Amino acid sequence: MAEDLVLDTAIRDWVLIPLSVVMVLIGVLRYFVSKLMRSYQTPDPKIVKEGQVILRARNLKSAANFIPPKSFRARRIYLCNEENGLLHVPKGQAQNAQAQMFSDPNMAMDMMKKNLSMIIPQTLTFAWVNFFFSGFVAAKIPFPLTQRFRSMLQNGIDLSTVDVSYVSSRSWYFLNLFGLRGLFSLILGEENAMDDTQRMMQMGGFGMDPTRSLGAEKDNLDIIQHDWVLSKFEQRAEATLRKLVKQ
Amino acid sequence: MAGGDAFEKKFNEVSNDIPIFNAENIQNNMKIIYYSRTFLSIVGGVIAGILGFTGFAGFVLYFLVMAVTSVGLIAKAKFSVQSYFDSWNRVILDGFLGGLMSFVLFWTFAYDIVHIF
Repeated sequence: MAEDLVLDTAIRDWVLIPLSVVMVLIGVLRYFVSKLMRSYQTPDPKIVKEGQVILRARNLKSAANFIPPKSFRARRIYLCNEENGLLHVPKGQAQNAQAQMFSDPNMAMDMMKKNLSMIIPQTLTFAWVNFFFSGFVAAKIPFPLTQRFRSMLQNGIDLSTVDVSYVSSRSWYFLNLFGLRGLFSLILGEENAMDDTQRMMQMGGFGMDPTRSLGAEKDNLDIIQHDWVLSKFEQRAEATLRKLVKQ
Repeated sequence: MAGGDAFEKKFNEVSNDIPIFNAENIQNNMKIIYYSRTFLSIVGGVIAGILGFTGFAGFVLYFLVMAVTSVGLIAKAKFSVQSYFDSWNRVILDGFLGGLMSFVLFWTFAYDIVHIF
């Protein structure tokens, strides 16, 4: 009997399509609003410097075997000797940096703005969908689902005989919410996606101690076994050149 | 030359362990993979909906589309994946499930518009 269910075309014209269009437009609007609200903060020179030093140490670590032992040793000593190496952190400063990071009000403000620009449109749209479009079947999902999904996908419809793949507008809203993410990254360009990953990184880096990563990098550099791979390079070049000359 | 051979062996051994990729280029390539997968999953969803696939057939179509995408990407990399990506999984598996929600959304959308009402 589930096959016999015929939906009114008015539902398509006034619920299904408008809901999707509205959600796309809200997504675009949110993107531009958050772009306008974004405050540019000048990066702290100390943090930038630490980041560059870490990058440098990583580069040295990954390319260590391509430089002669003497050069490697010189660089390692420059980076991590115990007196004034760039990676060496004096004991007292470690706590200071973290406290400074937490007390920076600009950062917390920025994160709150980003979160709000995410939450407010979602709540509003959800309320709108609930208010206007509840209590009827709005769409049919083209694959079968088990009875367990009934309470989730069909709330507002108190009919136990309707097939589970017929869903209410609220489910259509959630489907849009998750499915449009890919579309946004296509139409809004990379900045949208980058914004998300940046936010993730900020979240991850928020409680992290930058000086600790300096220390970790120092340890990594200290334990490297240097093994120069280009040790016979001159002889090899000579042989190759001789072969070329002979020809 | 024996020394040369030994050297070459050692060099290859070591350079296999060392990542000699440009991180930015890798990231750019990954982004391209992500975009093509998303785009093709949306297109595939619309196709599946218009053709009226239901149930299992639709998901099979999704896997087919993703497989075609992988082949296309490998062809675009001139079949030498190792010089553009750090592993095969990047080309074949990355973004595989990310496009699924988009696929389901557009599949449902097209299917409902064409077949249900």
